[in-house]
Amino acid sequence: MTRVPAIFLGALILMTTSTAFAQADESEELKIAALEALMSAPPERALPIVRKVLAGSGSAELKERALFVLGQIDLPEAQSVLVDTAQNGSGALRLEAIRTIGIGGNPQALAGLADIYAAGDSETRDAVLEAWLIADDRDAVYRVAANTQDPEEFENAVETLGAMGALEQLRALKNRSGMAELLIEAYAMAGDVETLSALARDASDPERQAQAIQGLGVTGGDEVGGILVDIYRDSNDAGVREAALDGLMIAGEDERVLELYRDSRDAAEKRDLLQLLVMMGSDAAWDVIDKTLEDGQ
Amino acid sequence: MNDELLTLYYYRDGLTEAERRDVAAALESDAALRAAYEQLCRDLAQLGTPQEVAVKADVVARWHDSIERAARLERQRLPSRGRLLHVPSFAWGTVLAAVLIAGIGIGFYVAGTRVPVLDGASVATGADSTLPASRTSSLAFVRGLKVHLSKSRRELAGLPDDAAAERAALIAQMIEQNRLFERAAAQNGSRDLARVLRAFEPILERLAADDVTPREAEVLQAQLAFELNVMLTKLGRGESEQAGPI
Repeated sequence: MTRVPAIFLGALILMTTSTAFAQADESEELKIAALEALMSAPPERALPIVRKVLAGSGSAELKERALFVLGQIDLPEAQSVLVDTAQNGSGALRLEAIRTIGIGGNPQALAGLADIYAAGDSETRDAVLEAWLIADDRDAVYRVAANTQDPEEFENAVETLGAMGALEQLRALKNRSGMAELLIEAYAMAGDVETLSALARDASDPERQAQAIQGLGVTGGDEVGGILVDIYRDSNDAGVREAALDGLMIAGEDERVLELYRDSRDAAEKRDLLQLLVMMGSDAAWDVIDKTLEDGQ
Repeated sequence: MNDELLTLYYYRDGLTEAERRDVAAALESDAALRAAYEQLCRDLAQLGTPQEVAVKADVVARWHDSIERAARLERQRLPSRGRLLHVPSFAWGTVLAAVLIAGIGIGFYVAGTRVPVLDGASVATGADSTLPASRTSSLAFVRGLKVHLSKSRRELAGLPDDAAAERAALIAQMIEQNRLFERAAAQNGSRDLARVLRAFEPILERLAADDVTPREAEVLQAQLAFELNVMLTKLGRGESEQAGPI
């Protein structure tokens, strides 16, 4: 079976149906199937057909699908159409074009999104951030976070950096005032154990310290249990020790809690740690209970 | 009919209506089983309810605060991680992706060069600085990815409308597997493919959201199904061109 008949069949279906007045469901499904089939065509043949669909009177859904196909066509003209739609298109189609630019990853088109972001409403800005996330363009998102004075815009950008695991960019924002909690959440999302550990050991701001300790629990991983145990043992501050236990609970580190329980010589502390083990649903708790009752007999 | 089943029957937990009917019928017809069940009931009744652990109010409040905070962060990181995953299926994805990552890594190492696995242009033109070992691993990756995309498409079509927890678990599992393939693609220089896979994730996350309406879910599923199909078609094209004439 050669590819050529499939291309002509696809093109025929699209061209003959794009001007139809009634858009029955079956017809729409057929057109979408034809668009899928276009992916098997050489790019230079597929491009004019997709352009025709975009310029035609088809449904918004059909045009959005056409944009996705357009994004998969490796020709400069395809990028031009996408950028034009992202700048001048309307409604959902414009947003889909922005997303498709992210998927395409063309550096010039991605750079053009900065202007679209600057001039756009909140929906547009969200779409651009998502496109940069898809393209893994960390510097573009960082520039938004670094240059904005709007807390909500900063929050959106920082959350995006967290989802991208952009450690370097998030660390560069560390000294942004009044945003410690948000940044700590982003460090936790990005799995930045190093930065969180440093903040968790810094006692200059107790609230931030407690947040960072809990953030370590959320991050999890092999090394976190040991770090939290060290913080617990090294501190005399009740709040810090509570936060460390919270972190151990969040991270599900029941073996570490058991270790603290066994090492403790303080009855009240042992009781709290046992309660924590029970709350964590740890199997080790039953061994401890058994041993405790046995010793009491 | 074992003790475990009878225990579940006693506690009215974990059995479907049909299974409960089967147990009831067996108890009705089998005197020995009935006697065993009555003894089990007596034993279980003696256990009573477990004594509650008294926890101070401020400790509970702190736990609630921690849990809410952790839950919020978890939602941002990944919907419904861990326990909601269907383990055998997730393990399948993990093993497949791990094999692919290792296979491709070895392929590149043997070839002594890093080449795009599926960079659009190189596939489309059959560009070929690729040595045999990396070509083999590239093809293996593409075939593995095709299986992943086909499987995602089937799972998407079979998402239950009326079982929210099961639906969320399936979507979380799809996101996990998608991430593994995205990571495999990114680590091996196939940035085009990594971006496409990354683009699927926000759609899956929206599908998993509590407030998604049936209509929105339908639209999102249709979009994802289309994009999966397009990628499958593109991969099919790339694979045949990369394989070259026989």
